[in-house]
Amino acid sequence: MKLSTKTRYGLRALANLLGQDCCCSVKKISEAEHISSDYLEKIFSKLKKAGILKVDRGACGGYSINGDPKKITLGQIVNALEKAEFICPDFCSCQSKSAWQKIQSGFNYVLNSITLKDLSSKNKKIYLDYAATTPVDPQVLNYMLPYFGQDYGNTASMHQVGSASAQALEESRQIFADILKVSPKEIFFTGSATESNNTVLKGVALANKSKGNHIIISSIEHDCVLESANWLKTQGFEVSQISVDKYGLINLDELRKTIRKDTILVSIIHGNNEIGTIQDLQKIGQICKEKNVYFHTDASQSFTKVAIDLSKLNIDFLTASSHKIYGPKGAALLYIRSGSKITPLLHGGGHESGLRSSTINLPAIVGFAKAAQIAIKNFEQENKKLCELRDYLIKNIPKIVSDCHLNGHPTNRLSNNVNFSFDHVEGESLLLELDFYGIEVSTGSACSSNTLEASHVLLATGLRPEQAHGSLRFSLGRFTTKSDVDYLLKVLPQVVNKFRQISPFK
Amino acid sequence: MYTKKVLEHFRNPHNFGSIKNPDSLGQVGNLACGDVMKLYLKIDQNNQGQDFIKDIKFETLGCAAAIATSSVVTDLVKGKTLKEALEIKNENVIKALDDLPTIKIHCSLLAVDALTEAIYDYYKKTGQEISQEFEQKHNRIISCQTRLKH
Repeated sequence: MKLSTKTRYGLRALANLLGQDCCCSVKKISEAEHISSDYLEKIFSKLKKAGILKVDRGACGGYSINGDPKKITLGQIVNALEKAEFICPDFCSCQSKSAWQKIQSGFNYVLNSITLKDLSSKNKKIYLDYAATTPVDPQVLNYMLPYFGQDYGNTASMHQVGSASAQALEESRQIFADILKVSPKEIFFTGSATESNNTVLKGVALANKSKGNHIIISSIEHDCVLESANWLKTQGFEVSQISVDKYGLINLDELRKTIRKDTILVSIIHGNNEIGTIQDLQKIGQICKEKNVYFHTDASQSFTKVAIDLSKLNIDFLTASSHKIYGPKGAALLYIRSGSKITPLLHGGGHESGLRSSTINLPAIVGFAKAAQIAIKNFEQENKKLCELRDYLIKNIPKIVSDCHLNGHPTNRLSNNVNFSFDHVEGESLLLELDFYGIEVSTGSACSSNTLEASHVLLATGLRPEQAHGSLRFSLGRFTTKSDVDYLLKVLPQVVNKFRQISPFK
Repeated sequence: MYTKKVLEHFRNPHNFGSIKNPDSLGQVGNLACGDVMKLYLKIDQNNQGQDFIKDIKFETLGCAAAIATSSVVTDLVKGKTLKEALEIKNENVIKALDDLPTIKIHCSLLAVDALTEAIYDYYKKTGQEISQEFEQKHNRIISCQTRLKH
């Protein structure tokens, strides 16, 4: 289907109108976009009738957008200007009628998921917070769509639509088994990395009480591991934390000495979410094997950024997450080496071999698998680009901003992680000011947390609290470009200097 | 999360900087907590012979709420007599900013404390009588500081 001239011109004019600071006359836009003013007037009056535009009178008279551009969809605009239909006429009873109806609903879905704001080039955002979450890759979204509609079956149902879903689920499982080089029977889907990590800590602790009640984690775990361990303490378990050096690498000797006869689990994060430091899974796995304790790693940040071959590593449990790799939120995996003793958190219909009862969230899981496939396919190319941009920032930030320090390991770090502390300024104010410039980052400052405590990860690397408060994390991703990071380098010095001028410490 | 007013003061803070040879100084907060506020006052006498704040400047290390509360406090008290300035409560600061997130209320307390300390400093320097209530207020602020330092 081709868009009509009316719709094409309408969209162009709306994009132009979005870029204007106030309302605008038809004449001005018709001149800028080379559309005859009579024709444009007709288009605008249709858009006005549909409630998309409004007319302002007075000196600055003309048309303006009626409402929040984020809430006006492309579907509304197209429908106001033409009848975009794929449906056969009512009298038609051809075999393909239902297929056309599906095309129509898919088409509507896509049109309604794009808003007027997406047309605007103004207020472009530079998202440098990919470690927080990633946008769903358009290829992934397309792949997921049928699983909301035509392939809606419950994987536990025996009829055909159910079996088709079960098959899609097992194909997804196989994709992860191939990537991690394990058996598909060892891959379990969950709803989030937090759930996977909770399942391992609580499930292993509860299932192995006969062996002991001692658990080891590192001092730089994600909150979901740390808080699970803290909860286990209240249930009578003992938890030890392994310290890290100034780069965030765990002390392997300390780990070896801390493992006791009654230790049941060692849980160490692979790539740290804040400072990006990557731990040596091979060495940690070796120690755990020698001492005969379970080893779990939270690979939420590192999965598809660092090659993980579980056939060569001694790892009993591994967590990975969908929304960190351009998949949808609401899906994650837990690898459980066969034979490992673990108790489920959720009991019910016995899904996922009884490990995690809950109706399977198939759209999210197939999206997760597709996202992983894309990431692995582009593994080298994508990580090479990210490392180049990362190292470009690490090299240049200290050149243009005085008194700043890189957090994390200088080389042994996630391909997309850059974390700096800036002396005499506070992270939340830097974050908000950068946001005004359209740059989205995150901070380890207490002021942006709910607890008003500085990041335990930064403190564990030996930073003083005030240095942790002045930290910013820039995490890069698939859609980050060289010009994005150049823009950051241009804006960052003035932002830091602004708050240093206000600060009592110079 | 923040009101428009907070963001306005945060982006374009009023009266920031320092005063050379200030008549008094108030500093509160703690680096470990991430908030430090410093208020500089220039005091003069009005027609009735009362001390009033002729000029006020602040320097703050802290989050957006800390900067905005510092800025708005300087607006609230500039030109006011010291007596009037001592009447300012953190509720006034919050109201002037159209509200603060609950977790940031302590920033408004910090701003009022800095003001109290600056006026206390002036009373001490000029040998003025300090009421028991004022002395207690000062002691509470000081004890807070020491506690924070541990």
